[in-house]
Amino acid sequence: MSVISVNNITKDYGNSRGVFNISFTVEDGEVMGFLGPNGAGKTTTIRQLMGFIHPDSGSVSINGMDCFTKSHEIQKSLGYLPGEIALMNDMTGMEFIRFIAKMKGLASLERAKELMAYFELDPRVRIKKMSKGMKQKMGIVVAFMQDPAILILDEPSSGLDPLMQNKFIDMILREKKKGKTILMSSHIFEEVEKTCDRVAIIRQGYIVAVDNIARLQKSKRKIFTVELSDRASAAAFAEKTGGTPDGENRVACAVSSDIDSFIKTLAEYPVVDLTARSQTLEEFFLHFYGGEAK
Amino acid sequence: MISAALFKREMKSGWKLLLIFSAVLTMYGVMIVIMFDPKFMDGIDVMIQSMPGLMALFGMGESASSLTHFISNYLYGFLLQVFPLVFILIMANRLIARYVDSGSMAYLLATPIKRLRLALTQLLFLCFCIVLLVAYFTLLIILTGEAMFPGQLEIPQFLLLNLGLLGLLTFYAGLCFFASAVFNETKKSNAVGAGLTIAFLLIQMLSNAGDKFSGLKYATPLTLFDIKGILAGDPGAVIGFLILYAAGIALFIAGTASFIRRDLPI
Repeated sequence: MSVISVNNITKDYGNSRGVFNISFTVEDGEVMGFLGPNGAGKTTTIRQLMGFIHPDSGSVSINGMDCFTKSHEIQKSLGYLPGEIALMNDMTGMEFIRFIAKMKGLASLERAKELMAYFELDPRVRIKKMSKGMKQKMGIVVAFMQDPAILILDEPSSGLDPLMQNKFIDMILREKKKGKTILMSSHIFEEVEKTCDRVAIIRQGYIVAVDNIARLQKSKRKIFTVELSDRASAAAFAEKTGGTPDGENRVACAVSSDIDSFIKTLAEYPVVDLTARSQTLEEFFLHFYGGEAK
Repeated sequence: MISAALFKREMKSGWKLLLIFSAVLTMYGVMIVIMFDPKFMDGIDVMIQSMPGLMALFGMGESASSLTHFISNYLYGFLLQVFPLVFILIMANRLIARYVDSGSMAYLLATPIKRLRLALTQLLFLCFCIVLLVAYFTLLIILTGEAMFPGQLEIPQFLLLNLGLLGLLTFYAGLCFFASAVFNETKKSNAVGAGLTIAFLLIQMLSNAGDKFSGLKYATPLTLFDIKGILAGDPGAVIGFLILYAAGIALFIAGTASFIRRDLPI
């Protein structure tokens, strides 16, 4: 039986906002990425899994229990990180962690302390005075401190600096080894690529694809921006590689697996500068799903 | 049945507010009791006769010759209806609407505690504060009265008056809690809670102001808290404040029922 199961749910907020006929499942021990641009319906789906809102039609269940009516049962083995971190401003970090631990009925703060040390979070600070990154770390500590079997994480690494993002990815990998079931929304490719087994992609409220991560990786491309010494060679290079010239001396090329031949072609031209970056999720959509993404 | 952790958290964040309101009420309460002077009352009567309209507006239009009547007139006619109301407005709004508006309700719901238990905890905390406030004030006035004018306060009537006041405050609490549980934004919750209760108060003040408007008293539920009737031992007045209790409890139930069923934008 699937741990998380979303069956044909619709939640219509009007003006084509919301989610429409969405279905997917997350199996036991699986890490599922939930990808999509902002406003695509990731959080709306997660809110239904948390029992904050009812679907207009369809059903959502976790461990076979209805997410709205049995929410309190489900929460016994679930850790949740909200997409918008709204802690209680009148408390210090430690007071908040203690309070939530009591609400969750945790016997010990051992794991919370480990997590705070791991993320280098000083919990004595008033939440009101915390930076965005600190608040995000607070959210992560609260989600993971009960060592739950299921984790639902809404944009977990937003607001973290790159060092902490990597630490977070390492932690997800450790949790995965322990057999946790994780649903994680994101719009950062790298994060999903390193951690997830499968990915559900959502756009404008519809699931576009539920795919194995390997298939996505194959279609993922790097963008090379090459600056050449003169406009003529830029034009020639663009024609040869199918890149997009910017009208000056620069050409942007999207390259997937054939980097070797791209570099060898490039060697024949007078290169002034070369930068490489990964595709953004939006660019990826454009490529992977053709004209569907705007 | 309730969550001890949440109750404690509300206690920790709310005790200052409770203290401030207790202090204000203490100041007014003691001041009014000290002002009581049976001989001086003739002077007050002259004042009432000279501007009956203005005094009546604040429910102080009755000539008061006994300590009990004096206190009920100058404290319970207006001050004790308004100050606790402000406290209830702030507190009720904090207990539910503020968590939903700020989004931190998400953390409360991401625990194995049912929405029903959350709502009951908040409700119980609100009632606890009100009972504490009224009980404290009752005791304060009895002690001050006995110290200044031994034997003059008619304690059984005075206790019944406070039971009536508690009914009125339960009704206020019901209204404000309902607004807090039904609306997603503190702005709306405040507007409806404060708007309705202030409208009721204004209507009551108008209906006190003269015979021309006395019919208005049927347009405000506050008429059910009939101070004169309670002191006179009128059974109708007791039924009046019992209705206020019942209305308050009905609003508690309606607010809770809405909160446990509805979609929360968190």
